[in-house]
Amino acid sequence: MFLDFVEGPFWYTAVVIFVVGVALRLVDIFRHGKQEDLASVQGSAAAGALRTIVTRSWTAPGFTRGAAFHLVAGYMFHIGLFVVIFFAAPHVAFIEERILGFGWTPAPHWLFILAAILAFAGLLLAWLRRVMHPVMRQISTFDDHAAAILTFVVMFTGCMALFQSHDSLRAIHMLSVEILMIYFPFSRLMHAFTFLISRGYTGAAMARKGVNT
Amino acid sequence: MSNASTKRKRRRYRAAKRAALILICCVLIVPLIPYGLSATGSQVPNPGTDLWRAVRQRDEPANARTQAEGVDAAVLINATGEDWRQFRMDILVPIGAWILGGVFGMITLFYLLRGRIPMEGGRSGRLVPRFSVNQRVVHWFAASQVVILGVTGLVLLYGRFVLIPLLGPEGFSVTAAACKEVHNLFGPIFLLAVVLIAILFGRGNRFNAIDLKWFLKAGGLFKGMPASSGYYNGGQKSWFWLTILLGAAISVSGLILDFPVFEQSRTVTIWAHLTHSVLTVLFIAAALGHIYIGTIGMEGAAESMIQGYVDANWANEHHDLWYQEMEAAGMVDVEPNALEEVKRHDNIDFRGFGSPGSPGVDTKKG
Amino acid sequence: MVELVTEHDVERGKDVMRSQIDAKISAYFSSCVHCGLCAEACLFYTETGDPRYTPIYKLEPMRRLWAREKTFWGKLGARLGALKDVTEEDFARWQEIVYDSCTMCGRCSMVCPVGMDITYMLRKQREAFAASGYAPEGLQDATRRALETGSPMGVTLRTLQAQIKHVEQATGLRVPMDEQGADYMVLLSSMEVVNFPEYIESLVRIFDAAGVSWTISSNAFEATNSGIQIGSSKVAAELVRRVVDTAESLGVKYVISPECGHAYVALRWEGPNLIGRSYQFQVIHIVELLDQLRAEGRLKTEGLSEQRLTFHDPCQLVRRGGVVEQPRNLLNMLAPNFVEMDDHGVMNWCCGGGGGVSAIEGADELRLKAFNRKKRQLQELGISTMVTACANCRIVLEEGLEANEMEVEVVGLTDLLAEHLARDKD
Repeated sequence: MFLDFVEGPFWYTAVVIFVVGVALRLVDIFRHGKQEDLASVQGSAAAGALRTIVTRSWTAPGFTRGAAFHLVAGYMFHIGLFVVIFFAAPHVAFIEERILGFGWTPAPHWLFILAAILAFAGLLLAWLRRVMHPVMRQISTFDDHAAAILTFVVMFTGCMALFQSHDSLRAIHMLSVEILMIYFPFSRLMHAFTFLISRGYTGAAMARKGVNT
Repeated sequence: MSNASTKRKRRRYRAAKRAALILICCVLIVPLIPYGLSATGSQVPNPGTDLWRAVRQRDEPANARTQAEGVDAAVLINATGEDWRQFRMDILVPIGAWILGGVFGMITLFYLLRGRIPMEGGRSGRLVPRFSVNQRVVHWFAASQVVILGVTGLVLLYGRFVLIPLLGPEGFSVTAAACKEVHNLFGPIFLLAVVLIAILFGRGNRFNAIDLKWFLKAGGLFKGMPASSGYYNGGQKSWFWLTILLGAAISVSGLILDFPVFEQSRTVTIWAHLTHSVLTVLFIAAALGHIYIGTIGMEGAAESMIQGYVDANWANEHHDLWYQEMEAAGMVDVEPNALEEVKRHDNIDFRGFGSPGSPGVDTKKG
Repeated sequence: MVELVTEHDVERGKDVMRSQIDAKISAYFSSCVHCGLCAEACLFYTETGDPRYTPIYKLEPMRRLWAREKTFWGKLGARLGALKDVTEEDFARWQEIVYDSCTMCGRCSMVCPVGMDITYMLRKQREAFAASGYAPEGLQDATRRALETGSPMGVTLRTLQAQIKHVEQATGLRVPMDEQGADYMVLLSSMEVVNFPEYIESLVRIFDAAGVSWTISSNAFEATNSGIQIGSSKVAAELVRRVVDTAESLGVKYVISPECGHAYVALRWEGPNLIGRSYQFQVIHIVELLDQLRAEGRLKTEGLSEQRLTFHDPCQLVRRGGVVEQPRNLLNMLAPNFVEMDDHGVMNWCCGGGGGVSAIEGADELRLKAFNRKKRQLQELGISTMVTACANCRIVLEEGLEANEMEVEVVGLTDLLAEHLARDKD
């Protein structure tokens, strides 16, 4: 009964809040508007925006050593989680049945497990650094910890349900996913979408001045 | 009433209190002995033993061939599996319970008798950097793995005895399924944690003569018998090497079990299982001691791994040789966060302080 | 005339802070995942280990305002009293962090993984601080002097004329003042007029050799812009307007921004947006012009500089200004032993004194600590000559070198070129 609720009405609620919430947040950003730049340009803003969207995925020259921890743990987590969400067989089946109506070839089981291991290790290491490093302690808010812990709970409940043997485990996982989806638009998890906007703005502004970043 | 007799009375009272505590502990533990004994069942001999021995290919090497592919496909009935099951149920489970329960009991006893080891001189308020950000991150990363794997592992080993009465068979079924998946997924992460521990805590963990003296003085656990030590004392070094060696063996045997797709035979798997379970019980027992002394057991210890700093008095009392060199290097009474600054600019690696060969160590002391 | 606010008014400050939040700021705050990488790029953090100097932490007042008024949890938190309002105490506490520990060098903006332009955000937050009166006294005084006399250091036309007389006597060449229709109008920074007047002589010689038609205006010769540094767009616009009006009345084609960092940003990049229209002339930095002359073959040098030298990139000129390759082209022409610092070009480290920091007396100690980064760069290179193209950098670097008893000479790029001008065969 609980599983029916969690896979039925609560799922739809979560989806609506997620989609509408994300859209509203994005609209709200652009609604503020920005002053048109009257200075004569040195380089193409559009090209700069696209370039910076790509280049910020790696460190600035000479900065790799200072950012090594973030790079390694961060990518372990992000890439691992991406593979798990979009290429794990149970997820692909769910997407095919409940969301898109079509699916794709899922990853082989060993790749799924490897990705999950990387995701867990990356998330744990990154969150522990947030708790231990003086800079991150200074600037972290409740939102940062909540997002990390909630994501961990989603992944953990997913792991528990891996055997696909018990409805209750699947239900707990679905419930945690839905809570995350509801939390998402109101949190810093929005960076998953807004990072494109912020990188783009900065890249455009710098490129107008002739600085390729 | 005279002063002397009051003192005698107080001593007698304290002795009586100790005796009473010991008695209570015995009363709680002793009844478990016959219970433990009764858990081991007795065997009834099977009338068809000779026939079955042949079928089970127990005595002669198997000349059987089969067209089915795969490892051990020619084995009709696996005999070693029963050996393993008997070992697990008759030896591993009860003795493991004794070891774990015993260690837990001894720690409790020690706490009741000795209490929390205080900082004799009180807090000085002056900070000494001890563990860097990365060391602390890696330590808690490893600790979280040990907790997750330890708890899920213990559920897999002891769950049926402890949890079925509490949760019922269906409840336990869910729990066990969840624990198995978690245990299997987090296992390889533990290997990563062991490797990181080796990298970040390796420097300074070599045994030397100072550690021998430290052991002979029981590590300063008892009042009135302080022991000298460098950056790591003998106990910490033992725990480090235990973690690396046992941890590596546990990880490797765990990986053999976790990924049975590499043509491991049942024999290999059983040996892996045996290694894994025995070493894990020992590891958890040792971990209980480590957790105790790092948290409740000693005042001023936990902050070394949480904040990364220790009080100067604590350092002087428990790692005096290290502390002396830190003082000489001007690293006592630092500002919080100064650790990052110190590492950045002076590149002083103080993990070697307090070892023979490190400048400024007075080996005559201790 | 525009006047600078000095009495404390937190409500006005908050109003201005609110008005500064545009789409970019919204996107930036939404994307920030508090990763702390910006701290590793900021020399005020790396040289002190103090996490309060984390660049994004310098923006905490604006972040809190944004969260309280623009986000769901923030609004809820505000109502429940969990997320505190931005108060007078915050302005008072953050003044030091916003002004003393930030030169707006822009390094943080280069490393942020989600692409935040933290420098842009801080510039906007300074608007609120300036409007609330919570700006350092040194900057307020400099701004007042700039508004009243035209120069933040109180340099008058008389001072300039005296320097010009010396230059004309030394070179035998004329400095054209207020010439209608000249191609280029030269601006100067007060720092150059007072501390490095050899710059004027260098300009005279080079322009004569290259045949450049130029002039200086007695009406508006000051390039520096205190408004940019203190963070008051009104002040900044007023100071820009003086230059623009004069240049347009003289009918020049170009206005030359001198060896000064923020002056270039003020006139070239912020100026049109401050006054609300584009100019009838173009803005060119002296280094840009020199490189152009070199490329056209109009600037010839002889007698290469044998010294092993390096270039300190002024942040506002290179990273925030876009003049990256030109100084290198010139130095490669001049000095075969030109070596780059490890972090060079757009990733070079700040001198520690830009953005108004060198004008704040209370920031001297922190500025000297921050200089340790430049000190290490120089020690790694083992260099004894450093070339730069900003008068403020020059003086800040010289102060840092002196305090550390380092034997390194600091040279202006224009001066170095003038020293090696090819002589005409008479």
